[in-house]
Formats: sequence, C-alpha cells, structure tokens
Amino acid sequence: MYSDLLHALPEVFGLTNFFAVIIGVIAGIVVGAMPGLSATMAISVLVPFTFGLEPLVALGLMAGIYNGAMYGGAIPAVLLRIPGTPAAVATTFDGYPMAQKGQGGFALQVAVVSSSIGGIASAFALMLLAPPLSKVTLLFGPSEVFWVAVFGLASIIFLLGGNPIKGLISACFGVFVSVIGSDPIYGNDRFTFGQLELLDGINMVILLVGLYALPPVIDLLETPLKTDNVGESQLGTEPIWKALPKMKHFWKTWLRSSFIGIWIGILPGAGGSMAAFMSYNEARRASKNPDAWGEGEPEGVAAAETANNADTASALIPALTLGIPGTAVAAVMLGGLLVHGLQPGPMLFRDNPDVVFGFMWQFLFGAILLVLLGGSLATNSFARLLNLPRPLLGSIIIVLMLIGVYSIHGRMFDVYLMLGFGAVGWVMDKLKFPLPPVVLGLILGGFAEENLRLALRIGRGDWMVLFSNVTSLVIVALTVAVIVGPILKKKLAKSKTRDAT
Amino acid sequence: MFNSIKYATVIGATLIAGAAIAQDYPEKPIEVIVGYSAGGGTDVMARTAAPFIEKYLGDGASLVVKNMPGASGQIGVTEVANADPDGYTLGTFNLPGMMARTIDRKADYSADSFTYLANVVNDPNVIVTSKRSGIETMDQLVEEARENPGAVTVGMSSLGGDDHFMLIKLQNLTETEFTIVPFRGSAPARTALMGGHVAMGILNISEVASFQDDLNVLGIATTERSDFAPDLPTFAEQGYELVNGSMRGFVAPKGLPEDVEAKLLAAFEQLDGDEEFLAAMAATSNPVEVVTGNDFKVLTQDLWDLAKGVWDETPWN
Repeated sequence: MYSDLLHALPEVFGLTNFFAVIIGVIAGIVVGAMPGLSATMAISVLVPFTFGLEPLVALGLMAGIYNGAMYGGAIPAVLLRIPGTPAAVATTFDGYPMAQKGQGGFALQVAVVSSSIGGIASAFALMLLAPPLSKVTLLFGPSEVFWVAVFGLASIIFLLGGNPIKGLISACFGVFVSVIGSDPIYGNDRFTFGQLELLDGINMVILLVGLYALPPVIDLLETPLKTDNVGESQLGTEPIWKALPKMKHFWKTWLRSSFIGIWIGILPGAGGSMAAFMSYNEARRASKNPDAWGEGEPEGVAAAETANNADTASALIPALTLGIPGTAVAAVMLGGLLVHGLQPGPMLFRDNPDVVFGFMWQFLFGAILLVLLGGSLATNSFARLLNLPRPLLGSIIIVLMLIGVYSIHGRMFDVYLMLGFGAVGWVMDKLKFPLPPVVLGLILGGFAEENLRLALRIGRGDWMVLFSNVTSLVIVALTVAVIVGPILKKKLAKSKTRDAT
Repeated sequence: MFNSIKYATVIGATLIAGAAIAQDYPEKPIEVIVGYSAGGGTDVMARTAAPFIEKYLGDGASLVVKNMPGASGQIGVTEVANADPDGYTLGTFNLPGMMARTIDRKADYSADSFTYLANVVNDPNVIVTSKRSGIETMDQLVEEARENPGAVTVGMSSLGGDDHFMLIKLQNLTETEFTIVPFRGSAPARTALMGGHVAMGILNISEVASFQDDLNVLGIATTERSDFAPDLPTFAEQGYELVNGSMRGFVAPKGLPEDVEAKLLAAFEQLDGDEEFLAAMAATSNPVEVVTGNDFKVLTQDLWDLAKGVWDETPWN
C-alpha cells in the first residue's frame, strides 16, 4: 500500500499539478483572510469550475486552498480581532493582544510557522493512517458520537473564564440556535416561523460572520478618529530567521496541538474551531504561567494555529475511507472527489492510487509552501491593512461580509440573518458575554441531540444503550475527568496552602 | 386610416415576433435549478446530462446549472414551480421525496405545478445487513423480524424518502415490524451498518456498489437484475414482490408554450439512445431509466397516491 505512495510522487511534480497547489495556497490565504469567506465557501464555489480539469489539478487547488485558508484566517484575527474563518476564533485570544502590544508581526510569524507545522503533521497522518484508521472510525456509532459531543460541551467549561454564569448563558444560546430548523429525526420544523430558509437550520458561517465580524467592525466605524492605529513600525516585524529561534520552546505545544488537531479532525463533525479551542485549553493548562494567556501569549497563537491546520488533512481520513467527512470543508472536498469519479472507500485506494496518494502529497506540499508564500504575503502585504483609514477598512470588511454571506445560498435572507446575529453579538460584546461558547453550543448541541435520539432509537428507548460498550465508557470516563479534574486540582491546591499556613 | 394601418402593422409585427420567439428557442442560456449542493447525486446527474441536452436542442443552446440547496431540495423545487414558464428555467426533480414533502410539511407546490420533462435516473433500493448481525438471507431477516417485532434496527437516509417507502412495502408484504433509525443521509447510515451499530439498512444500489464485501447485500428491488450488480438476485426471485427506488429527473414550471415543451421533450427523449451519455452515467454509478412527458407525470401521480396512502395510515412524523 505504501509503495503506491511513492509511485504517485512524480505525478504531483507535473508542472500544472504543482502550479495548482501554489495558486491554491495563495488563493486560500486571501480567502481565509477575508472575514465571512471560509475555506468551505471557497471550495464549494470552486467545485463546479473543476469539472473539466484533470483530477490532480482540481484536487491540488482544493488542497492548497484548504491549507492556505486555515492560516489566512489568522491574519485579521491577529490584526483586527476578526477571525477570518471560524477556526481562527481561538487565535484572536492572544493574537490580538499581541498586535496591540506591537507584536503583530511576530504573532503572524508564529501563526504561519505553526499552521505549516500542523498542516505537515496532518498530511503525514493522512498518508500513514488513512487505510488502518478506517476500522477505528467504525467504532463510533450514535451513542459514541453523542458522548464525544458531551465531552466537547464539558470542555466548554474551561472557556468560561471570569464569569461562568455568562459563559453558560452564551453556551445555552448556541444550543438554542442548534435547535432551529427541521428536527434531525422527523423533519418537524422548530422555530422556523414558516420560513423555508430556516428549515435547514442556521448555517454556521452566517452565525459566525454576524457574531464575530460585525461587532468589531461597528467599533471600528464608531471611533473613526481614534489614532491608535498599529503602524508598520509598531507591527514589530523582523526577518523570519530572527523570529524562528524565539519559537524554539514551542515544540511541545506544536506536538501536542498537532495530535489534538489530527484527532479532532478524524472525529466526524468536530472541525477546526473545536480543535483550536481544545488545543488552546490544553496548552494553557500545561503552561507555567496560565495567567498570561489571553493577554498576548505567543504560545496561545501557536496552539490555536497548529491545531486548526492539523485537522485539515486528517478530516479527510474518514472522508476518503468511509465517505464520512470529518469537517464541513472535508464534506465539500468529498463532493469534489465524487465529481471526478472517485468513490470513497477501501476501493478508492485500489482503483485510483495515483490520484488519492497524489492528493495526499499535494496536501503535504501545500502545508510546506505555506511558510514561503504565507510568510511574505502576510507580513509584507496583508499586515498593511492596518494602515488603512478605519472607516475605509470597516466599509471594505462590511462589503466583503455581505458578499460572502450572500454568496453562500445566493439569497438576501441570509444577509438579514447575519445582521441580526451581528446585533446580538454587539450586545453580548458590550455586556461582556463570551462568544466562543455560542459557537461550540451550536455545533455540539446539534450533534448531541441528533446522536442521542438515534442511539435511543437503536436501544428502543433503553438508556443503557449509551453505556453498552467500551468505547462509550472510555469517552464517559474522559468527560468525567475533564469536569472533575480541575475541581480536584483546586481543592488540592487549597488544602496544600492551608497546610502550609 | 393611416393610424389603423400603422396599428395593424404593429400587431402583425408583434405576432411574427411572438412566433419567432418560440421558433428560436432557446435564444439565451437556460437555467437548471438543482435543489442540492454541487457534487451530490442529483447535481452530478444534471451536470452530466446538460451537455447532451445542449447538443439535442441545437442552435448553440446552453444550460447553466444553478445550485439552490436546502430543506431536502424543497427550496430549489419551489423556485422552479414559481418560475416563469418560458422554458428558460428548468429544475431537477426527485421522487418520491418531492411528493412526500407536499404531504409531511407545508409546501408551495404540488404535483400539478410542473411540466414533466423526463425522469432520467432510477436508483433501485437494496436491503443490506451488517456482517455482525448474522443475517445473510431475506428469509432469515423476515423470520427474525417476525419472532421479535421491532428488534431489527434499520438504518436509512431519512423519513419520507425512497428508503422509507421501501421499508413500508416490506413491512406490509411480510407483516413484520422493524425499528427505523433515520440518519442524516445514506453515507452515515452505511457507516453505522459497517460498524454494526444497526442490524439492517435500506440503501440504493449506487450507494453499495463498492461496498459489497463489507455488507451482506440481500437483494435488489427491481423487476430484472441490475447491470451494476449482475450477481445480486432481485427480491422477486426470492419470493418477495418488492420494487422501489429513488428517481431523479427534470421538470419545468407548469404552462410552457407548446412548441417549447415539444422541443425540450424531443431533446430529453434522445438521452436514452445516446451511448456516450449512458457511459457517463454508468461511470458515476447512476442507473438510467428515461421516462418522458406524460408517462413521467403519471409516475409522479402514482407515487403521490402511494405516499398519501401511507401517510394516512401511518404518518411518519
């Protein structure tokens, strides 16, 4: 099987195939950097145009866009606190404070190097694990996926930060949004008020653009005369060879976050944003001074960006082997594969080894190219966004948001919906409600509901079905550890200080 | 006098122009609305068929596929039903889903809202069981379902679709009872089967064609064996009269000008004999069964009657 891997290599270095990856990476960075335009959207717009192309040209473009966009999202996340893609939300936590402290250039360098490392790790995971891992994924039936979602919801607790009550309210809002639309089993509509457009539920991109992109833009426009623009000099950019040594001690975070990203990618449903959040939390927990996090800790950027690129290729492991995409982007790419007659499954590796392994190589090269293309593009061109007058910048972003949201389904309804969420986000921001739990509540709430109901149907109403196998029990144990662990730790620390006094 | 001549000339010119519009059809791009995302089965069918329709319409005709996904195809098909019947908006049509939608929820269209052009794909149902279930034949399956009513869990794509109708036919025919587990699409249902999380599944032949080693495929719901799986016996061969499938085709809004309709029908009718088209469809595992015009309309009506009957007896939500 692995000999096919080497066999596919020469194909990839064909001029057009290689060029496709380069164009893809550049396009991906640009798309990712624009709030509202996600990798999912870029690739879904691209798919229809690739019908006439050779499979590896089309797939190379997609692999490049995927890798590029996952990094591109970091640029506005760092410079403007606007995540360019959903997966870049965690990047704003420390990236934006760094930019305010005049370390925006370094934050972007950390982001591009970390993204590249995550992407490379993920591409290797795809190459080496795709065939054998198909069996592991099969262990995840509805009750197991339900527990994975519960595990994710439990880990939101770490995101609540200062005010757990506000955090929980945010999470509940997200779960409520997940309930809108036709229910996953019977198709009854819930909270749609007869709107056909709401039958499929709230598209995550629309929610994210409204919630995350609009409030900061309003702030930009509100204070057009404020002169705290971070100029190029304040960006603090220095050559990458000088910046690299400063990142040496990130290696543990890179390693840990790559693993987290790869695993989250493989699990169906949980995508880049969850990978980024989880890896951010884990890195923070492992850190010696967790209090500095959120105030401009470069390692936080490294953790988030490594993980959101590490889930890219790995999300294709279940997609290629089983036809279950791990993320929304993987779902769109799966569509792209099908268009070129590549049916996912074990047969894929037998019937089209050159294409499928060639595609994996393209992923790897896309990740490597990211440092070269992303490094210069980001620090030299995109960072200058900051020098634009604020009203101009705000208006450009709003226009891009409107175009992006409109182009998802080509309808104004989504634009109004986005503006509505923008208003909600603005109010939440003013009242200091955290936004990340909303997103996680939306993704995980929907997953938990659907899979719980499927599991109960399989068990014919008997709740014991949820505890009927080892995989479920392992995830339950992990969930309990996530909830109880920090409490015990706190108690231990307290009793220790009490003993000392 | 002068005025009336002028008047007559204008009327005459308009009439000629009117006739010319129909004769010259199509004189601008024809939009084909697909109610699903790019890359899905219906989308692939539309895009595969488009160049052939262009060829048969002639005169540099061009078809532009537009995806309007959402609400199980309901958004796209509603758009088609409400479009101007001028021949420049066509749409894809899925059976029995499109008809079931008019029964299990509020829909702004009905079977009468369309000009029926052609059904192109008929993807027959198959019954599969998980390797772990130990069930390898139809007789074993029916026996198990009879002895323990509801004990056999059935993974399928959604309620009110072809998979669901297939199960209802099976239950009625064999007087058995199964437990339905409706997944969000066929792929997750198939995966749950491979993992042994459900015992049995109802899918389409195109969805199991490359999975025959990983699942027990018990039979196919066709009158004759399928080219996609020539070794797979039909249910009728095994003593169960079950014929059912998922159909995909093309419709236009109701009320097309007659000559436009005739021109479109003539183009769609030629798909059946086009070897190149059939090969392209076979390459994407799409079993072709072309049914045009009024026959297609009758087929739709029959399926609506069946769905309505089922709904009245055992509503699925």
